[in-house]
Amino acid sequence: MPEPVSHITAQMPRAKFVGLLLLFLGPAVAIYSLFSVYPLVATMALSTYTSDPSGARHFAGLANFETLLGDALWSKPFWNAFGNNLIFFAVHMCVQNPIGIALAGLLSLPGLKLKGLYRTVMFLPTMLSVVIVGFSWNLILSPLWGVAAGALKAVGLGSLFAPWLGLESSALVTLSLISVWQFVGIPMMLIYAALLNIPEELIDAARVDGLGHLRIFFHIKLPLVLPTISLISVLTFVANFNAFDLIYSVKGALAGPNFATDILGTLFYRTFFGNQLQLGNPTMGAAVATIMFFIILVGLCLYLFLVQRRIRRYAF
Amino acid sequence: MKVEQRAGRFAVHLVLIAYCALAVGPILLVVMNSFKARNAIFGAPLAPPDAATFSLVGYEKVLRASNILTYYSNSLIVTLVSMALVLLFGAMAAWALTEYRFRGSTALALFLSIGIMVPIRLGSVAILNMMRSAGLNDTLTALILVYVAQGLPMSIFILSEFMQQIPKDLRDAARCDGVPETRIFFEVVAPLLRPAIATVAVFTVVPIWNDLWFPLILTSSDSTHTVTLGVQQFLGQYITDWNSVLAALSMAILPVVVIYVILSRQLIAGLTSGAVK
Amino acid sequence: MANLRIEHLYKRYGAAKVLNDVNLTMEDGEFVVLVGPSGCGKSTLLRMIAGLDGASGGDIHIAGKLVNTLAPAERGIAMVFQSYALYPHMNVRKNMTFGLKFTGVPPAERERRVAEAARMLRLEELLERYPRDLSGGQRQRVAIGRAIVREPAVFLFDEPLSNLDAALRVSTRVEIANLHRVLKATIVYVTHDQVEAMTLADRIVVMNKGCIEQVGKPLELYYAPANLFVAGFIGSPAMNFFEAKVERIEGGCARVAGAGFRSFDLPTTSLKVGDVLTVGVRPEHLARGTDGVFAVEGVVELVERLGESSFAYLRRADGRLFVAEVRGRQTPTPGERTTLTATTQDVHVFDASGFRVSMQNNS
Repeated sequence: MPEPVSHITAQMPRAKFVGLLLLFLGPAVAIYSLFSVYPLVATMALSTYTSDPSGARHFAGLANFETLLGDALWSKPFWNAFGNNLIFFAVHMCVQNPIGIALAGLLSLPGLKLKGLYRTVMFLPTMLSVVIVGFSWNLILSPLWGVAAGALKAVGLGSLFAPWLGLESSALVTLSLISVWQFVGIPMMLIYAALLNIPEELIDAARVDGLGHLRIFFHIKLPLVLPTISLISVLTFVANFNAFDLIYSVKGALAGPNFATDILGTLFYRTFFGNQLQLGNPTMGAAVATIMFFIILVGLCLYLFLVQRRIRRYAF
Repeated sequence: MKVEQRAGRFAVHLVLIAYCALAVGPILLVVMNSFKARNAIFGAPLAPPDAATFSLVGYEKVLRASNILTYYSNSLIVTLVSMALVLLFGAMAAWALTEYRFRGSTALALFLSIGIMVPIRLGSVAILNMMRSAGLNDTLTALILVYVAQGLPMSIFILSEFMQQIPKDLRDAARCDGVPETRIFFEVVAPLLRPAIATVAVFTVVPIWNDLWFPLILTSSDSTHTVTLGVQQFLGQYITDWNSVLAALSMAILPVVVIYVILSRQLIAGLTSGAVK
Repeated sequence: MANLRIEHLYKRYGAAKVLNDVNLTMEDGEFVVLVGPSGCGKSTLLRMIAGLDGASGGDIHIAGKLVNTLAPAERGIAMVFQSYALYPHMNVRKNMTFGLKFTGVPPAERERRVAEAARMLRLEELLERYPRDLSGGQRQRVAIGRAIVREPAVFLFDEPLSNLDAALRVSTRVEIANLHRVLKATIVYVTHDQVEAMTLADRIVVMNKGCIEQVGKPLELYYAPANLFVAGFIGSPAMNFFEAKVERIEGGCARVAGAGFRSFDLPTTSLKVGDVLTVGVRPEHLARGTDGVFAVEGVVELVERLGESSFAYLRRADGRLFVAEVRGRQTPTPGERTTLTATTQDVHVFDASGFRVSMQNNS
């Protein structure tokens, strides 16, 4: 069905209306299309070509993808990175979001003093650059400095300490936890805002009914913020599969030790720009980027069709 | 208050304080130790600097060996210009989409909102090529263009929601008054957008200032580096020089913290108002 | 020459007809009130006159000019909105002159008009203030002032008093009536409050479901409503309605009978035996006693005392309630059975389709 035309604009001479639209929409649409949409499309197009060392490009259809997913030389790092990304995502979902929700729940308790101060302080790490966060934690966890070791020794858990960032087995999870430390503020603030939106009367009615704070949280508050929680999950998903900065600043492009911290973002960077181990390969890099795009797209679609449909927005 | 309630509250505060310590501790540690002499850093890392251990040697090194001031000015220019353009173009586009319904306006709105979710980084290959062929490689302009493209979808979304709350009567009154359309936007609607600016700023400024990826890809010479990239490279270079490293980190941290503390009220208000979708 | 002429105007949103073949003519200097329940289309009609919404068909002429394709600013209208719609970031003076800048009015002339309007509306001391520092009534006056300075051919008011409290409503109503007298302006005024309509209008247009039910002077509508809807809308409390039927026709009269009231004769020749009718009598026309062509008996259930006048709610023989106005200190007591009567000219009869039945010797 054709869109209804606004009367104000229907009265305007056509040229004037078009001029207005160009003026207001032009800059935004132009910049967005040129630097956001077109590059994405071009990258996807590029992924269907292969390049040889001379720089020439030949059309190859889906050959790059077959190589990436099947050829051992490429697929091993790819699946390694993909698996690491899943672990990265899992840690965020299991640690970051529950902690964020819990903190938001605590902050939203009625009559809590110093609420503003807590909020401000707890949101501080999110404001910092990932470079700073990564490096600071690198120092703190470093056995050379001994801060973390000393802290654990002070509570009698000294034997637990290990150079976690340097060990293949623990490096990824440690980096994930560092990322969680930084970004807990976001689910915290979003859930906090959603909790604020729950009418006081609902909570009062529950109190009159005799429910304690914990019960109120689990049976009333939590179900009502479920839409926000699912939104946060999807945001986490997109952010995690787009992550790069933290790993790169702590571990460099090679995402060691031995690619234990390699995720799709660092794989993309390495593939495209090259490093001391391999030449840059723009077409394979484009292929990696295209696959990342589709992974994110699939996640988004799953969210939209499965979750969004089922979650009813409660009208107050 | 009953005893159980008081105990419960106490526990809550305990948990929150503990988490705050966890949140702020590492930062305090870094900043504190940046003012200490090298052996004090290792000898007593948790102790604050006193007269004996106070030292600015790290800072001196950083200021000497790196262009940190240039990095700051670059970051400032890129962030402020990007934010200004994102606000201006975003507001104009949001206005046209909410006010002038025309064939395809919904489709256009959808098109623009895709960018909220889909990361722009994935197109870096093509962006780099475009910048190279346009001769914009290694310029702040390239960064600005990319960040504006990145920030527009979210800004348009937030500003559209906000504009729909501006009373329709106001625009109708201006039309009856004979105010031309462009003037309605700039003189009637725009001044009322002030509260939304905080929200847009939160979602735009922080990611731009802290971004590592695009400066890494699009800028090559030292003079165009941003703070984030500059500090990262400095850290990589001077990794064993603990004083300089800590000083560099502190110099990157402190301005952000100061601005954050000053603006925290508006920032958080912006985040909580814009976040409720 | 008529100042506002609307011909065959209609408006459709998809399949829904919001305005249906509206025809209206207004003379220069007339105060016309559009009144009706929510959703009747009165605000839509006003906005179409203003040019803020488009018509699906029909013509609008203002001051002799066909304005269908003209923008609001070009139609010679000025509008006062229900929410006042003052620019919050401009002071009162700027609010009033903002639009004039764009219609080519020179600065000196702008100043003169503002001063004149401020004097008329007692806004002189408020000119430098901002809307947020003004009370509701003051904001209302500024909104009116903004309209006055445009010196339009037609003023349009969209429920301007709805946002004011009761006392303010009454005083502002008087001010608007005064303004009309002083400016001799042509005014189209929309309201859902029939008291405003009755007190302010030269003519009232009663609307319902997108159609005009009746147009006429206030007292015409009160004493001679053209159909059931107008009869029930004008007058508060509303007119009492009684279902009735024509029993027989005899000597130029129709005998009307129904449950709850005494049968009476209607001097009319336009009815047949068996016709279904509705008889209407206003509460203020029912008096205690037994003389009067129309008589109804009932048991008093509730008496609302408002001072000199009270309203008694009685239940009649067919189980329905009806209302009668009683004046004086002696009011009926609940439980009392009493008979109330009305004279011929205060009895309204409507046929099965709701139209007024014409009678020989009254209007």
